[in-house]
Amino acid sequence: MGTLEQRRRRAGYAALAPALLVLVLILAYPIVDSMLLSLQDLRAAGGTFEGRFIGFSNYGALLADRTFRAALWATAYFTAIEVVAVVLLALGVALLLVHPFGRFGIFRIVLLLPWAIAPVANAVLWKWILHANYGILNTLLTELGLIERNVIWLGTPGLALHTVLAVDIWKSVPFIAILLLAGLSKVPPVLYRAARLDGANAWQQFLHITLPQLRPTIAVAVILQTLWSLRIFDLIFVMTKGGPADGTVLLNFLAYRTTFNFLDLGYGAAIANVIFAVSLVLALGYIWLLRPGLQKAGG
Amino acid sequence: MFRRRIGRLAGRSVVVVGLAMFVLITVAPLAWLAISSLMEQQALTAKPPDFSSSSFTLANYTGVFAAAAQLGQGFANSFLVASFTTAIAIAVGAPAAYALARLSIPGANAILVMILGTQMLPGIVIAIPLFIVMSHLGLVDTRLALVIVYLSFNLPIVIWILRGFFLAIPPGIERAAAVDGATTAQIFRLIVLPISLSPLFATGVFAFIESWNEFFFALILTRQSARTAPLMISQFAGQYQTVFGQMMAAAALAIAPVVALAILFRNMIMKGFAEGMVKG
Repeated sequence: MGTLEQRRRRAGYAALAPALLVLVLILAYPIVDSMLLSLQDLRAAGGTFEGRFIGFSNYGALLADRTFRAALWATAYFTAIEVVAVVLLALGVALLLVHPFGRFGIFRIVLLLPWAIAPVANAVLWKWILHANYGILNTLLTELGLIERNVIWLGTPGLALHTVLAVDIWKSVPFIAILLLAGLSKVPPVLYRAARLDGANAWQQFLHITLPQLRPTIAVAVILQTLWSLRIFDLIFVMTKGGPADGTVLLNFLAYRTTFNFLDLGYGAAIANVIFAVSLVLALGYIWLLRPGLQKAGG
Repeated sequence: MFRRRIGRLAGRSVVVVGLAMFVLITVAPLAWLAISSLMEQQALTAKPPDFSSSSFTLANYTGVFAAAAQLGQGFANSFLVASFTTAIAIAVGAPAAYALARLSIPGANAILVMILGTQMLPGIVIAIPLFIVMSHLGLVDTRLALVIVYLSFNLPIVIWILRGFFLAIPPGIERAAAVDGATTAQIFRLIVLPISLSPLFATGVFAFIESWNEFFFALILTRQSARTAPLMISQFAGQYQTVFGQMMAAAALAIAPVVALAILFRNMIMKGFAEGMVKG
């Protein structure tokens, strides 16, 4: 029988076991296996996989690989710009939506739309909007007299990366705004009342109340958005396939292409593990930020 | 006094203009999706596009299915995969979430941290090993493979969100039932689950949307018969990339069900997800 506490604990193990088993099989095992794969020269040929242990050669090859280095820099650039732009814009949107004018339900629907639509549908839509000859964006800009010749948004090296970046920002802002909105709603209103009594204007209230109170939420938003930017794939696959001239080959796309198009599984796994390592550091930072909540729930 | 009133007026105009711009920029592309899905090819390729009433038609929607007869199969696959993954994630995840929230498991925090950590990892890391395993098992291009792999992102998020909801239940009711001699399993089944129906449902909707929209694993693990709607949309768009109206009709069909779900359950989704992510 045991005490009540012991019985509860036993029931707890039973309740937890199936979930842990599933997670070990589909997450823990593949993560470990991915490390092992990256130490092999593993190619897929005729439906079989031929592997040969080569130590850290794949990682050594990465350092000399010009495509990898270009993808690494492009990813760092893309991620840095996206995180800054998304968090700033989302903060603006969240501040607008806590204003009494912004509290209508319709704005909440608008906020959810870009998250809810499938990334692929989103990519197909933007490819059409940005179409060089018939796209509505070029038509609009021409009608407004802003451009004289059609802009080839997705076919110009350099420009293509920034176009994809803009589309991904468009998709990410509303979701991060939801996050920041949740943080804003937890700022105690009494702080603002006290500040107003002391004669603080709107800007001072923002600087000395909103921003400090929102800092933990902003930190979470920065880390989550960084993780999501590192992972970008669907947009690139549909809109540019990495082109033109590999100008939009970011790390995740490169890992996919190396593994599943070039069928070089070991090398692909090595690239994947680079993304994994960066993500892991960020994930640990995220967990560290959440640690007060975790401790409160301690078992 | 006068100056302050002007200041307030200016502040309000900034808010109104800002809100209008936010709505316009977010909605305009989606509105263009809907509008162009209803327009004839000639009207879309005219310069400028011909918006007269004769340009509008439903032909794109009927044409999509004629051009890609398997599109229906893709929607069926998406629906089945998303439904099964969601059901399994809830069935396996809810007891686990309850155990982690309430049943004083030693090392619960470590388990939670790992669950949260795996949720942050890029799919490509597990995609390569899982692809090899699925190939060995002969499961490539089956819906079963997708259901299994989709649990890798749905199960952790379901556990995480539900744990938050279970923590928020006042423990008094459970304690009273325990004093009356109810076993832990009975408390969970007869007391906790019935009062958690709406969070369970909201979490389910969330998992369903994420599965329905998933593209990366579907691209790797399906070939022909198990292809899901997003995969078909991407292939359709690659193959008929100049048939703009039909392309948009296909995209509209793929997003309509989840957009409807998201709008219907917007409050639950926003509360559950945003707060779960921030609060921990």
